[in-house]
Amino acid sequence: MTLTDTRSSSDTPPAAAGSLSPTALERVIGTGEHEAIGRTFIMGSLLLMAVSAGALATGALRSLSNGGPLDVTDNLWNSALVGMVLMGAIPLLLGLAICLIPLQVGSKAIAFPRAAALSLWTWLVSAVIFAISLGLDGGVGGADLEASRLGMLSMGSMMVALSLGAVCVATTVLSHRPVGMSLARVPFFSWSMLVAAPIWILTFGSTTAHVFLGQISQANAAGLALRYEVGVAWFLRAPTVYMLAIPVLGISCDLVAQGCGRRMARYGTVQAMIAMFGVFSFGAWTQTSGGRENILWIAFVVLGAVPVLGLLGLIADTLRHRKPVVSPGLVGVLLAFLLLLGGMLAGILEALNTTGSGTLFSFEAAGLGWAQSLFLLSAAFIGGLSALSAWSRVVLRASAPGAIASAAIAAGLIGGGLLATVFLIQGLTGFGLNLSFYNVWVAVAAAVLALSALLGLMLALVTSRGHARQPASAGAAGLTLEWAQDELSPEDQALVMRTIVASPYPLLDFRFTGEAVEEDK
Amino acid sequence: MSDTATLSPPEVASPPESPQAAVAPTAALPPTMPRRRELIFGTVFVAAGVAMALLTLIGSYLATRDAAGAAWLADNQLALTQPNMQMLTLGMSVVTMQWAVWSICRDDRYHTYLAIGVTMLLGIAFVNQSTFLFKEAGIAITQPEGPLFYAVTLGHLAMVIAGLVFLLLMAFRTLGGQYSSRQPDGIGAAAVFWYAGVALYAVIWFAVYIQK
Repeated sequence: MTLTDTRSSSDTPPAAAGSLSPTALERVIGTGEHEAIGRTFIMGSLLLMAVSAGALATGALRSLSNGGPLDVTDNLWNSALVGMVLMGAIPLLLGLAICLIPLQVGSKAIAFPRAAALSLWTWLVSAVIFAISLGLDGGVGGADLEASRLGMLSMGSMMVALSLGAVCVATTVLSHRPVGMSLARVPFFSWSMLVAAPIWILTFGSTTAHVFLGQISQANAAGLALRYEVGVAWFLRAPTVYMLAIPVLGISCDLVAQGCGRRMARYGTVQAMIAMFGVFSFGAWTQTSGGRENILWIAFVVLGAVPVLGLLGLIADTLRHRKPVVSPGLVGVLLAFLLLLGGMLAGILEALNTTGSGTLFSFEAAGLGWAQSLFLLSAAFIGGLSALSAWSRVVLRASAPGAIASAAIAAGLIGGGLLATVFLIQGLTGFGLNLSFYNVWVAVAAAVLALSALLGLMLALVTSRGHARQPASAGAAGLTLEWAQDELSPEDQALVMRTIVASPYPLLDFRFTGEAVEEDK
Repeated sequence: MSDTATLSPPEVASPPESPQAAVAPTAALPPTMPRRRELIFGTVFVAAGVAMALLTLIGSYLATRDAAGAAWLADNQLALTQPNMQMLTLGMSVVTMQWAVWSICRDDRYHTYLAIGVTMLLGIAFVNQSTFLFKEAGIAITQPEGPLFYAVTLGHLAMVIAGLVFLLLMAFRTLGGQYSSRQPDGIGAAAVFWYAGVALYAVIWFAVYIQK
């Protein structure tokens, strides 16, 4: 465009020029910068996780005050679980991915930045509406028709928004890699998100269809509750619930390698195991009653444990070769792995119970199912907290205070582990024991989990506001590209970015220039 | 490099000021192009999510129809002529869509515009045929079959309309010179979404209309 009529510089007063710059609020709302989007996702998810866990504690207390068993058909219970997944664990992992993955693959931007921002704001608004609808006796399975419709609709919007964010993340991994970084050389967290994203997109596509069907059929409150139970709730059960933990596998492997300052052996095998776990977490075919509790379902549930055990062996092997630099993030992610193993154990017990129901075993399948879901949900949440702590210098631009990080992770482990263990015991022993005793423990565990989320939020706020960028002396040195801006001078960063990637650990290669960079076989 | 930066036109080098400058190696970066296949990958993921939603709806439709037995749509006339014509229309649009992709890959802009135009015309014809089918069938949303029937067919119709908007947008971008043989991703992405829509209609055509 040609400017034919120029204005003299004196025409524009300085104040008017200054007013054109966006305010802080405008910058937050209008940003397409992936780090800001990711951080908002993380902080929002931690706050809403606390709200959801608080609702779970309230539901248990309500059952306790009624003097009856824990009512798992209660709308507060179901809505709180949906909230912990869609408002807590998944957005936390997605926020980390939006923030970290472009940097891990050497890109300064995420693919489709405006879509990522749309994903964030759609999710946030929908989550707030969902929480409001729950307060109006709606949510999922509520008694109030209008509030239940609002709850279902906002749940569907959250699923669409999270799917959109997953599209941006997966596309970034596929198309924003630098020269030399083949898919076989992407960092494990990026790889795990590339595996998780299609599973999330397909699963949420299927559940959103049921939400749409519930809206179009003009069902009453009971009909909406049934639609949730039949068409949506399956994503909280095995094997689909495995999808929550896929990124935790990638986070674990990245943090262990970084903690040990050593390349992870058998890189391709690790990637294959993460991919295998992803395949076994695809469970849209189990949404009909005939799809569960058959031989294929048993095979999926049991075989899902194989890659987890395999990865545990490879992680142990890496830790055996070199003593790691212990940090809250590394300890936390290893504890998250323990919870993941707990989930696998509950799933295997459920599968065994299905195989020999009434003859060999007489477990309570529902209790084992809830135990598995809660173990995996807790693993995903603690994995996310650990990643936030470990990558705080990249995500929050400062080192996270170790005391707050340790407290948040410990509270998450106690709360999540206790919550899942209560149901595991219920599953193994039946529901006929001291019901009030169970309700008390569920309420306490959920309250501790809420406290963990609040501590996580405090960690994020304190770290991002209270510290300037610190030198890279604290903690283990980074091995992958996301650490370049934190640990290298601008000249070295430019040099690294121009260098053709020759292994999965470009920063390690850069530090030891001249050392062989062939991948470990 | 940010998307904004990659989409900006390459900087024009200043003319050399001296003979030495004319032979000195330039420090300017080579012209950058938008990242290859980014839009195609994104579209594949979105199309997969939409396909999963529609397949779930079709599955629910089939399960409910099986449960209802002979009473399903007993009061309505669901003639096959219209769905067959719709399938034929979308089948032809696959050819014209591929024609557009083929043309843009060879910088044949005239044929690209022509192919996109014909594809959009066939898509609009499909929308028109769908509305006619709905009127002819006379299925009310209040009858038991209504919500599932319209969830499946209107859901797919929405996908076709989204495909038309996508195609229109890509046609404008092509007109603006953004796509060529060096960067044909926009047309390719629109084609991927369109093909997914046609494939899904083939499933609907067989499951909903042929099997009734």
